Amino acid sequence: MAVLEGETPDTVPIVPVIDGYFAPRVIGRANDECYMDGGCLADALMASRERFGYDGVLAEMGLGPDPSVLGCPVEIEGNDVPLVVETLIGGRDDLERIPVPDPWADGKMEPVTRLVSEAGDGYVVLGSVRSPFEYAATVRGLMEFMTDFYRDPGFVHDLVAATRPATLAVGRALIEAGIDALVIKDSFASSSMISPDHYSEFAFPSEAEVIAELGAEVPVILHICRNSLPILPQMARTGAAVLELDGPVDLKAAREAIGPGIVIKGNIDAVAVIEKGGVEDVEAAVRAAMDVEKAGRRFILSTGDSIPLPAPEENVAALVESGRRYGRY
Amino acid sequence: MTDTLERFQQAIVEGDADESTALAQAIVEEGRATPDDICEQLSRAMDTVGGRYETGEYFIPEMLRSADAVERAMAVLEPYLFQQEHDQSGIVVMGTVKGDIHNIGKNIIISALKAAGYQVHDLGVNVSTDKFINAVRETGADLLLLSAFTTSTKPALLDILARLEEEGLRSDIKVISGGASHSEKFAEEVGVDGFATDVKSTLAVCRRMMEA
Ligand code: B12
Repeated sequence: MAVLEGETPDTVPIVPVIDGYFAPRVIGRANDECYMDGGCLADALMASRERFGYDGVLAEMGLGPDPSVLGCPVEIEGNDVPLVVETLIGGRDDLERIPVPDPWADGKMEPVTRLVSEAGDGYVVLGSVRSPFEYAATVRGLMEFMTDFYRDPGFVHDLVAATRPATLAVGRALIEAGIDALVIKDSFASSSMISPDHYSEFAFPSEAEVIAELGAEVPVILHICRNSLPILPQMARTGAAVLELDGPVDLKAAREAIGPGIVIKGNIDAVAVIEKGGVEDVEAAVRAAMDVEKAGRRFILSTGDSIPLPAPEENVAALVESGRRYGRY
Repeated sequence: MTDTLERFQQAIVEGDADESTALAQAIVEEGRATPDDICEQLSRAMDTVGGRYETGEYFIPEMLRSADAVERAMAVLEPYLFQQEHDQSGIVVMGTVKGDIHNIGKNIIISALKAAGYQVHDLGVNVSTDKFINAVRETGADLLLLSAFTTSTKPALLDILARLEEEGLRSDIKVISGGASHSEKFAEEVGVDGFATDVKSTLAVCRRMMEA
């Protein structure tokens, strides 16, 4: 919490991205069970934190928080990742079909309220919501959405504007529930997918707008997947307190791009290192990250993205242990 | 190569769908380029697009813009490219396997098969094993064509073959695979009956399988 409030802690905070993808296995449940059952999800997220002892939990909403919040049918089977099976928006005429969700309906907030009420002083609770740009891509279908960039850019702007109320409604509900910080995910704004020019045109303005509003209440962590190096200077101007960087980003270059003040959360590769690597790889990656960030102390040690279900538990444990070892200031 | 064909390739690379459609029309009117020339230009254009993506000049929306330019041009070219011979008969089920969403190559093959006379059921992209199995059963297909571009699709291909076996459908159908990352070796490892790399070889393999 200290680092979020602009102070410098004595040791690096460790907050890996552990959500409904990895956590259910800690309590021996299948992902689809916890996806539909907020109590199960809360148990899983708590148990995972207790098992590994990191400093913050990501309180996900139950019932497939995001796509289904906007009325897109979602399917999940066994341990798969939830899949949006139908999109809402076929064309301009459908824009008014985008609902403003009620996050408090159907017990979706249960995992969040439980984690907040059961969290002791020992760790923070983060909430997470998708950006308007990501919601827009979801309701339109990612491929159609990205085809619209050239076919009908005005429509892209309208779509992003139409989904902004959804981000704000979910964000406000999470804040009301008492989270300590809010992660805004903008996965598709990544320079691994779209050009920096398109980021500036379509994603950045809405990020800045929602952060202006929600960031007034809690610190905002802006997450963009894969490569974000080319757009980091802009991300730093969104008003986010923390930028969550993914594995492919070179930390040193990132720090140079954004300056010393802003907090970085990242960026151990969740797949290449945590899922596919060994304990030595995790240690080496943590040490390399701390070598860059130790002096500045504006760092939260984390994975760059969600830890996948097949990741070995030793590697998650190693992330926390080596963070404690190399992260002492 | 004719000047029109050269400009056609350029229009696809730049993702200018109006231009690619107009040039497709011109190619048809000039009537000088052979279908093989056109297909080759098309593939070459998409190779350039892929190259620009790899060097970071293009991102996914730019690739999709080019895919769109191909799709619109194909609507004009289709009757010209594949002479409507209709001398083949047979029921084909085709789709791009689960985890893969590339569809340009699949759509070209489908146009060619239809022109040759096959009755084709296009299942689209990212198709689950269940959907393939149901379609095979419902249509009584003779041939199952699986488009699989990324190397990571091997488990999906294996799954489809295993399910055909399990459901007792395997001996009644010939399975043919293809796509950008395919090699003969890959197809052999997966255990399909046939494999092809372009329109010509696909038509030849399908004909051979139907005759067998
Ligand atoms: C356009 C494109 C895309 C577009 C697709 C748009 C669309 N509507 O299809 C988009 C942007 C969505 C895309 C995404 C990705 N792509 Co892509 N993409 C390409 C690209 C540039 C062109 C493909 C194409 O259309 N070629 C033109 C057509 C005419 O050729 P073709 O597809 O080979 O088809 C011919 C034959 O293969 C054959 N054929 C095709 N299907 C079948 C089926 C059967 C049964 C038979 C017999 C024959 C046959 O006939 C066709 C006509 O001649 C290629 C690079 C390249 N140079 O090929 C990469 C490529 C296919 N993509 C690749 C990759 C890795 C990806 C991504 C993972 C990238 C990423 N980082 O996200 C994603 C995957 C998403 C997913 N889950 O599928 C790789 C695959 C690598 C591999 N070895 O597996 C390639 C080869 C690029 C590369 N060199 O790395 N891609």
